[in-house]
Formats: sequence, structure tokens, C-alpha cells
Amino acid sequence: MSYTLIGRIQSRVVSTLPALLVALALQRWWAIELVALMLGIGVALDAGVYHRVLAYQPAWLALPLGALELGLVYAAMRWLELMAPLRWAVGLYAIGWVAAQLFGHAVFPRLRLEYAEDGGELGRRGALTAVAVGAIVLGGLGAAYAVKPPTVHLHGTVQGPLLITHAQTLVGGTVRGGILIRANNVTLRNVTVVGGENGIDVLDSHHVMLDNVRVVGVSLDGIHVRRSSVMIENCKITAPSGPWVQGIDISFSMDKEMSMVEGCTIVGVREGIVTHMTMVDVMHNHIGATSLRGITMGEMSMGAINNNDVLGAHGVGIICLDHSECSIEQNTIVGTRTDPTGDASRAGVAIEAHFFATAKVSHNTVIASPGGVQAFDGSTVTR
Amino acid sequence: MGRWSRNGASPRVRCLGRVRCTVDFIMRCAIVGSGLAALATHATLRHGGLSAEEIVVFGTHDDPTEVWRERANAIRQQRMRSESDGHLAPVSFPGLAVREAVRRGSPTPLLRSVVNRYHPSVDDFLAHAASVRERSGWACSFRAQRVERVRAIDGGFAVDGEGPFAHVMIATGHPGLARLDAFPGAVHAYEPHEYASTVAVVGAGMAAATEWLNALAAGAEVVSIRRREPLRRPLNVPRPFFSKRGLAAYHAATTERRAATLRELSTPSYPAGAAWDKPVRAAEREGRFRVEASPNGSAQVIAATGFRQGFRHDALLADLVDAHDLPTHDRWIVLEPDSTVAALTDETRTLALAGVAAQWAFPAADTIAGAKYAAHGFRRRVCRTR
Repeated sequence: MSYTLIGRIQSRVVSTLPALLVALALQRWWAIELVALMLGIGVALDAGVYHRVLAYQPAWLALPLGALELGLVYAAMRWLELMAPLRWAVGLYAIGWVAAQLFGHAVFPRLRLEYAEDGGELGRRGALTAVAVGAIVLGGLGAAYAVKPPTVHLHGTVQGPLLITHAQTLVGGTVRGGILIRANNVTLRNVTVVGGENGIDVLDSHHVMLDNVRVVGVSLDGIHVRRSSVMIENCKITAPSGPWVQGIDISFSMDKEMSMVEGCTIVGVREGIVTHMTMVDVMHNHIGATSLRGITMGEMSMGAINNNDVLGAHGVGIICLDHSECSIEQNTIVGTRTDPTGDASRAGVAIEAHFFATAKVSHNTVIASPGGVQAFDGSTVTR
Repeated sequence: MGRWSRNGASPRVRCLGRVRCTVDFIMRCAIVGSGLAALATHATLRHGGLSAEEIVVFGTHDDPTEVWRERANAIRQQRMRSESDGHLAPVSFPGLAVREAVRRGSPTPLLRSVVNRYHPSVDDFLAHAASVRERSGWACSFRAQRVERVRAIDGGFAVDGEGPFAHVMIATGHPGLARLDAFPGAVHAYEPHEYASTVAVVGAGMAAATEWLNALAAGAEVVSIRRREPLRRPLNVPRPFFSKRGLAAYHAATTERRAATLRELSTPSYPAGAAWDKPVRAAEREGRFRVEASPNGSAQVIAATGFRQGFRHDALLADLVDAHDLPTHDRWIVLEPDSTVAALTDETRTLALAGVAAQWAFPAADTIAGAKYAAHGFRRRVCRTR
């Protein structure tokens, strides 16, 4: 179609409506911010590039232009540090893109006979709708900004334990003695925690984001989560100060939103990542030299354990335990060592389902782990 | 008041087939002409909420596709030059590609449409036109009558003395075939014909290119006679001229500039592509196709020279212009951007043109898109005063 500039912008803005409705339904500020970002980048491209370059835009061009805009939106997300879960963000973008195609090729031509010959302009009602959509997006953006938690930058070393009881974003610095989070909508970014019993302790809180945190020298859990929902990305947990340390423990959160652990490196602890009664996805983590298990999804937990590397675990690499339901796919488990106690369930088992657990296992790579993939005590492993 | 079903599923026409309607009530709209542009206008008005009884179609053919079909048959046209939305229904979606994809259970028409490679078959176009005709209640509005005179009167327009009609659309189509004085024995491409063993084709447009392929396929030797090298273009005019993007500058131009644009755009053209080039190249290699200045002894001359140009060749339009002293420029009647005649259109009445006569408003007026463009403008006027 040969769009006019007004037609391009009106069509784009009104086509954003489904994505905006989904964003509003999600009730997350990042979703509103993402829609605003999509719209802003799109309108900027319309005005600055597309209108000048594309006197006529064939339908097939929607694919490369969609990919280009996705790349720009993603880059802008990273640059603006927009805290959107990647899959949800891509999903929201996909909704916006598909809606734009459906609206442009089917809905608008049905609602307005002159749509094509008017170069995508939508008439008075369309213009009013575009203004309404724009106003909602801008209003949402303003509200998101107005209620945005304050950002606190830490410099140097702070003596803890640090107690957080209000929504905020804590950036940088080193905290000695641990951080206790007792509030919703808390983000820790680029923070290092040294010492303490639990490095980061999250209790009864949701929408907690731990991004690129480092925890060293703790004596119980690196990250300890109870009755909360958290997103943990790119963390590092090393140098435990005792034999009982767990890397990440997320428990008793079955009634909370799903948690996620992604891109973490955990070395030398008793259990790398352990969950109890929690819905959680554990993905793209690197876990090495654990003395009990690499990853444990236990006690009626549910979730996916995908694309993780578990190296040199003692006894068990990945275990789905005690009535849990686990999807275990595309992990690499190398060098799981046999526990000398003689317990068959700890005989260098790479992937294990134990005590009425159900594990769906596929496309994993198991190397030098004599126990292989096994089920014990009424559990089921399906492939 | 009947309203045409928007989903196209259940027509609500009050009279079907050849059953004639009574017209004992005030009629508001008249369409003069009974071709494709008339059908597009009728269907658009029906979609706008007019009942079939509120519209009278004056024409010579109760089948609006008849004249076009005869010409397409004459040049053995298999595929439309237009694309998926080149149909006569008022709403462009679903287009012919979607309909064909659903009917065949194949995504191929859609994929071809996405890359602008979809051209519906003539049969599909005609079948869909027949369905549009049926659903719009065309038969209910049609009156077999060749109109000779349209006059502005109080309350609207008189059509051959009948009226008043508040709104009139004149869609009389092309004013006859352009024949060649230099070759009085030539057959026109749009008349039924077979092919001799040696055929000279005069012209360089879509019909000429089609005739080259037809004659070559029939085993003939072809001589192409043309004043210029053919222009290769997917549609009749560049795509921006189908939307406000190109039209805004065109409408804002001076009359001289606008006429120059129309002359430039009237250059004969046909689409690029191997389907057109491959047979011609193969025939050139075999010595069966060549370009010459004269028939050079060809047994048959085919005039693929299109139609006579200019409103003066249309008796009805010429009479209208003379009677009302309407503004013209060269061979065109000067129109408003919405295809209406400004001097005879106001808040209470509308006189609009569709088809080739409406080129002053829309350069591709003699296409399906052009017919719909004029119909949309007419509908806006009618619905505004309704």
C-alpha cells in the first residue's frame, strides 16, 4: 500500500490497541513501557524513514521491517534497562505485529471502504481512536514513571545486614552481612553481597528482581526466597563459607507468581539451585562442583529445567523430587561422581526422578555420569 | 430499509433475478451505464444502506460484466492485471486471493499476494462479480434503457426527462474502440477473431502483448508495429497514484501539469515477467517475432490500440458538457478530486463520473480500483444528504 504519513501513523497507533489491552491486562508497568517503546520507535521510523523511503510498501516487507523493529525495541529495552521478561516481551511484540497485519489487511479495509485509497488514513473516528490510544499509552507511561520506585546507588562497601522495606531499585556497591528484602517491587542490580548467613533473603515479597548480583562467603543460602516470587538473572554465587551452603533456595511459593532463575553461575555449594513447593523455571545456569546435588526441584514443585550445565556434581546432577512435576530438556550434565555411601540413587546419577515425581526428559547431554537417567520410588521418567 | 449484508453471507434483496420492481416511490439515485463501474457503484451504495429500490441503473446490458467479458474473451485473457483486491465488492477484504485460498485449501494464493504475484483468473473475477451482482440486488435496480441526455433541473437531474434524481453517477465506459485509418481491414483486438499464419499487431500495451502471445501460441509469425518500446509496469499506473499519497500532489497540480501527467500515464504498458518475455524471446530466436514499421505483407492486422479517447467521443457526455457549459481541459472533463462535477454538485445533489471519463480525478479511473474510488466518493455524497 502507498501510505500517507498520517495514514502510517494512524494505522500504527490504532493497531497497537490489542497489545495495549494485553499490557493493561497484565497489570505490569514494564508492559505499558514496552508498548510505549514499540509505539515510539515505530512512529519515529514512520516519520523519519519509512515515509521517505517507501512510496509503496508491499505486504512482504512487513517481515523484514518487523524484524528490524524487534531488534530496535530489544536494544532500546536493554539500553533503558526495562525490566521485562524476554519471553513476555517478545510475546507482546508479536501480538502487536500480528495485530498490525490483521488490522492493516482485514479490519481497517472492512471498517473503512476508502482505507487503501486514503493511504491508510482512518477518518475522524480513526483519528479519535488513535488519539485515545496515544493518550492511554502516554498516561500509562506517566503513571509508571510517577510510581516508579526510587533508585538508590550504593558506592563502596556498606555494612549490613541491609533491610529493605520499601519498593526501590538498589544499584551497585558491596554489602557486608547480607540483604533482607521485605517489600514488593524491589530490584537489586549489580550488587555484591559478602558474608552473612543468607546472602540475599527474600520473604513475603513479589515482583522482586535480582539482576547480576554476586554472593560470596555466606554460611547458609546464597539467595534465600520464601513465600515470594523472584526473577534472578545472571547471578554469581561462589566461595561458600561452610559445607551446608545452598546456592539458591526458593521455597513455599506455590501460591505466588512463577519465579525464574536464569543465567546464574553457582560453584562449590552443597546444592546449586533447590526449590520446594514452588513454580519455577530454571534455565541457562552453570553449576559446578556441588556436594549434594546440582539442581533440585522438590516437594511438589512444578517447572522447567532447561539448557543448564551441571558439571562435577557429587551424587546427583539434576533431581525431580517428591511429587514434583519437571520438564528437563537440553541440559548438559558432565562428570557426576558416585557417592561412596553406596546409595544407588546417588551413584553418579545425571538426571533422577525420586519419590513419586514425574519428569519429562528430552534432548539432554549426559557425559561421564555412571548413574545415567533413572527413576526411584514410584517416580516416572518419560522421554 | 434493506441493508446489504456486511458479511456477504445472507443477501437481503427484495427482488431477485429478472423480477422487475415497481418504482412508484421517490427514487434518489441513478446510475447511467451498466458495466463494471456501475456495478461497483451499485454495490457500494447498497453497502452504504440504500435499498435496491432507491437506485435505478439505466443501461443496455442487464449483465454488467457482459461487455468486459466479450473483450476479455476476444484477447483470450486468462488472468487479471489487477491483484487480490481487484474485485467489485464494496469491502476489499476478503480479497480474491483469500477466497481462492479458502476454496482450494491452499495458502499459495495468499503467499503470491504477499509478494504481489497474485493475479486472479478471469473466471474467478467474473464468478465473484456475478455473486456481487446477485447480492446487491442489481436486477431490482436495473432498467434497460440507453440514456441520451442528462440535465440538471430543480431537485436534481432529469435522465432522459425522467426524474428528478438527486444523485446521478454517469458510468458509460469507454466511448468505442480506437480503429486504425491506415489499416481499414484490421480487426480490433477486442473483437472476436482467429489468427492467420502471419499477424501484425499494432500497439504496445497489455492487449498487444496478450495478442503477441496468443498469435505465437497459435503458430503464427508475429510482426509488432509500435511507436515506442513497451513500458513495463505491474499496474496501469504507478502504485502511489492509487492512493492519496500520489493523488494529493496530482490534485494540487495545475490543469496543464495534470493533463501532462495524464498523457504520460496513458502510455501503453504491460507487466514485466518471464511469462510475457519468454515466449517472445523464444519466437525471436526462431525468427517468428520481429518489430517492424509496417505489416510487411502480414496476412492479418490486429489493432491492439485500445479505445477512443476523450469525452467528445461519448455522445451523452458531450451533450452534458455543451448543455451546461461544463469546464473541460483538452480531452478531459474537469472534475473535483471525488469525481464529481463541481458546477452541478452541491449540498443537495450530486453529479459524478466513473470509468475512463473520471480520469481528471483519478488517473487509473478505467480500472476496478478507479471504479471503486468514484463509487466511494459518490456514496459519501449520497449518504451525507440522506
